Amino acid sequence: MKKLSEMKKESKGVITSVNGDPRFISRITSIGLTPGCPVTVIKNEKNRPLLVYSRDTMIALNRSECSLIEVEEGKGA
Amino acid sequence: MTEKNETVIALLGQPNSGKSTLFNALTGLRQHVGNWPGKTVEKKEGNFEHNGVHYLVADLPGTYSLSANSDEEMITRDYIASGKADVICILADSSQLERSLYMLADFAGITVPCFLLLNMSDVADEQGKSVNAKELEKKLGIPVESFSAPDTKAYDGFYRALERAVREKTSLDPGSLEKRYEEIETYTRVKAMIPADVIPGYSNVWLAAKAVEGDAPVIAKIKAALSVSDKNAFDTALSAVDKGVVLTGERKFAWIDELLSGVTKRTETKISLGKFDRLITHHIWGKPVVILTIVLGLIASFIPALPLMGIGQLIGGIPDPLNEALLNIGCPAFIASVLCDVLIRSVAFIVQMLGFVFGVTLVFGLLEEIGVMARISYVFDNTMAKFGLQGKSVMPFLISFGCTMGGAAGTRVIDNWGQKVLTIALAWAVPCGAAWAVIPMLSTIFFGAWTPVIIVVILLVMILHMWITAKIFGGSLVKAEDRCGMIMELPPYHKPKWGALFRYVFGRTKETFVRALKVVVIVALVFWLLSYTSSGDITASILYRVGHFIEPVTKLFGMGWQTFMAFIASSLGKEGALGVLSTIYTGAGTISVGSVVSGAAAENINELLVANIPKPEALALIFAMTFNMPCIVALAATYQETHSVKWTARIALYYTGVALILAGIAYYIGLLIW
Repeated sequence: MKKLSEMKKESKGVITSVNGDPRFISRITSIGLTPGCPVTVIKNEKNRPLLVYSRDTMIALNRSECSLIEVEEGKGA
Repeated sequence: MTEKNETVIALLGQPNSGKSTLFNALTGLRQHVGNWPGKTVEKKEGNFEHNGVHYLVADLPGTYSLSANSDEEMITRDYIASGKADVICILADSSQLERSLYMLADFAGITVPCFLLLNMSDVADEQGKSVNAKELEKKLGIPVESFSAPDTKAYDGFYRALERAVREKTSLDPGSLEKRYEEIETYTRVKAMIPADVIPGYSNVWLAAKAVEGDAPVIAKIKAALSVSDKNAFDTALSAVDKGVVLTGERKFAWIDELLSGVTKRTETKISLGKFDRLITHHIWGKPVVILTIVLGLIASFIPALPLMGIGQLIGGIPDPLNEALLNIGCPAFIASVLCDVLIRSVAFIVQMLGFVFGVTLVFGLLEEIGVMARISYVFDNTMAKFGLQGKSVMPFLISFGCTMGGAAGTRVIDNWGQKVLTIALAWAVPCGAAWAVIPMLSTIFFGAWTPVIIVVILLVMILHMWITAKIFGGSLVKAEDRCGMIMELPPYHKPKWGALFRYVFGRTKETFVRALKVVVIVALVFWLLSYTSSGDITASILYRVGHFIEPVTKLFGMGWQTFMAFIASSLGKEGALGVLSTIYTGAGTISVGSVVSGAAAENINELLVANIPKPEALALIFAMTFNMPCIVALAATYQETHSVKWTARIALYYTGVALILAGIAYYIGLLIW
């Protein structure tokens, strides 16, 4: 299990849990990042927002928020 | 149905679902934009006619879901519950169908008639994705149409779906989704407790799901309909859920997967970033590339702007000969002056600026439509978040170095009203092209080689000013919940719909012209009355008397009556300050809006200024002018974009006050130096 923010560029995984306040969870769910959802990390550079690809969508996420999302690496498409 | 017998259709969709493009394409120039009563959210409505039926389209605020986390979402929900809409058109992005159908899933359980529009089918085609709309229609029981805004033929399908939804009152059956919700134990328990008709239009399936999600307004509504003991049982049942949004969210996506299985086809493509996206996501090149893009956009906006600017200049040439001709035929000087100096010069002034508004609206509207603005937002989001703004706000700030009115026009790509108003309020602090023409010149006259230092100080003060202004106005304009960290999508690029874009740009430009004309003529007339003298002697005008009377006060800010008048004139137009000073010190001619706008100054203005204004006062004037209200047209544009008299007046008064304070500070620092 890894935090999304710790995933390397071009690595793939499946989201296992989403944490944080209800507002954040609601927002992240509505953009499609739910447990069981495969994600691909497109870009992960220091001090820059992460770029992840999931459900046909390129999503930019703040680093601090990404540490609230846990991922099982290597699984998924 | 409205009182006027119009069928009401509400557009519901996530941001970037192409809602605005559809809205503009349907309604063209017949739009009215205002605010939802008591809310800092924009309300857009428009009309169109098809097959003899009159429609009213309500463009609901773009939200990602129907939760209760923002004003936008609450307005959307309340609007649906109000029963005003005869039919809801739900938009989804065909190229990202799975994710964008979340809105449909969140809508399921609402009984208002609806239909589904699978937008951006052109983009999906390019990506090798196809959707069988007919098959989806069978599964959902509501009309489903593939659609792409630039394709004129697609509108037939849209109208067919619309007419069928209205005629047959097709509503979405939440049965298959509910089966999945029932896997959540709390859902079943909670649903059994909900009485009928708690909120009109919302079924118990929807209410129970929202209750599980911890939706406060829904829970309050349900509890209000329950007896005391039932209330407690209800609370107990709900307390068993943790992260309800995740529970229902997983079911919603599972439902979507089931819907789409056998309905969509796709060719496997490798996910990669395009060239432009690779550049803008680069940790070094990202920001320079975006700034370069905006600057190029700014230059490009001058191309369509130039003809209008030329026309404005031609009109500006009318007053002098006309004034003379009118006086020759015995027209009273008073009337000739109102006509020439107030009316025609105001029109000339606005038409010149309008070219820029037209260009900016067209170029940046295009960048928004093809998806570039979302990238700009991405690159500057973290920087702009410090002001409580979205990344897109960087664009109006940069445009404002050219023209504040253009900057204000550029804020229309910002979808949050509060952030839009705050962006305009901050953009006023950016010295515009006219300031850059006047200030370095004034500065050189008085301070020679020190000019670069003064310009650097002006830029530093600008940043400080913006930061403080953001603190002062940010609290009431941008709610804490809108200040969340970045969670945004980078939408795929798409082709613009030129016809709709041009209609929209012409519409907005026309509207800006009408509104700006009203404001400018009124302000110009007032200023003209205050400065009018029959003898041409400035000391006989009301303005002089008032200026003289309050000179003890303006002296506190370092300005005598002459420079204070120049300051007042600079709030109409920066160039005007020089014309006013010239008039005062040469003692020739009247101050009029004409002299203010044209900025005509005596040839020996330099010597006159140096001889009459001490250095500290000159420094005060430079700061007062730079940070004053940019000009009357900018004021009018601010009103046009914010459609709030209150906020326009608030910003204008604030800037006048701050400019005086800055002038005072500059003056006393000047006294220490010289």
